[in-house]
Amino acid sequence: MDIRFDKVEVRFEGRTVIHPLTVTLTERRIGIIGLNGSGKTTFARMINGLVKPSAGRVTVNGFDTVSAENDARQQSGFIFQNPQNQIILPILREDIALGLKSRKLPKANVAAAVNAVLDRFEIGHLADRRAHELSGGELQLAALASVLVTEPKILVMDEPTNQLDLRNRNLVERTIQTLPEDVIVISHDLDLITGFDRVLMFREGRIEADGAPGEVIGRYRALNGAEA
Amino acid sequence: MMRSLHVDGDSFLHRLQPGVKLTALAIVSLCLFTIQTPAVLAIAAIIGLAGHCMLRISPRQIWLRLRPFALIVVVVALFTAILNSPGEGLTAFFRLAALALFASLVTATTTTGDFIDVITRAALPLERIGLVRAQDVGLSIGLVIRFVPEIVSRYEAIRDAHHARGLKLNPISVAVPLIITTLRSADEIASAIDARGIRRQK
Repeated sequence: MDIRFDKVEVRFEGRTVIHPLTVTLTERRIGIIGLNGSGKTTFARMINGLVKPSAGRVTVNGFDTVSAENDARQQSGFIFQNPQNQIILPILREDIALGLKSRKLPKANVAAAVNAVLDRFEIGHLADRRAHELSGGELQLAALASVLVTEPKILVMDEPTNQLDLRNRNLVERTIQTLPEDVIVISHDLDLITGFDRVLMFREGRIEADGAPGEVIGRYRALNGAEA
Repeated sequence: MMRSLHVDGDSFLHRLQPGVKLTALAIVSLCLFTIQTPAVLAIAAIIGLAGHCMLRISPRQIWLRLRPFALIVVVVALFTAILNSPGEGLTAFFRLAALALFASLVTATTTTGDFIDVITRAALPLERIGLVRAQDVGLSIGLVIRFVPEIVSRYEAIRDAHHARGLKLNPISVAVPLIITTLRSADEIASAIDARGIRRQK
């Protein structure tokens, strides 16, 4: 991946949420940590063009998230904190197919792509189930399938193990580890990102620490009074 | 938690093309408004109710599906009876009941995805003359259908929270959290639609 934030700043209603920052993300596995309200979700949402910078520019694999929004968006998929809101149609198969509708593909191609992504995550048996019948882990896998059916190169996940029990958390963690796509994960679950290539720590809208997981997580724990 | 108005099944109505069902519903609805005889409208309502037996769901589930608009039907019929005449009230009751029952049958036997496809196709002529984007129209209708049961679920959660705290339900204490949570969820779903490229920018 090649994501560049160039002198990017974000302001909401006169408040600076992200202070000017310049950073380039190229590693395959990147974790983002920080306290609630530190700006990490705003930062991650800029990658998908969900939040536009008030100043500066963000490019994803060379595409500007403002001037080439569609192309930039095709590069990355975004998994929201609450998969309930990620899944738009009640029946899983239909929901996954929805992501391909704007591409105006023949029905057979859509069906083949949906089946392929269901098989990939071994959730074919859930295809005709309703979202409200799925467990937390199944829902998260369904959200992954609904995003990855469009074949983005980068996956941004906002607290993917939030609200999951241990079993489902492990299931999602294993899935993330085996994804061939480049992954950026925002998480309070520090174990999840321990094996990543790089971790960014946000604090009050700034990148406070950036480096290897051991070093950044240690600093985060020390700053917040937890045992390293 | 997202629910669905669709009921799984393999009945004749499930197999019927969604476009045919929607066209038939439109024609039947128009006919219901031209009929003035309560007995004929009552028969139509009975047919609509009998159609629900094809769904193979329990009478309680049928009632739960119909309950949200049952109150509206009764209130409109009562006002019509008081302001006009009891006969017209009866006519209004059977007409609206039949209309709601037929509409419920169509939503029960048509998936949201099929609704979106049909409405999108129907809006294509409008897109050709530059009035709308057909995909947006289809998606809007699909989202309305998606949100109806969700709003009911939210209302139930707020009602339970009131009961748990020993509070009485009142319109403001129910409406405010219901509107706020629904708008918040709508905002997040709009972001998901953008993030997934379902509604691509021009």
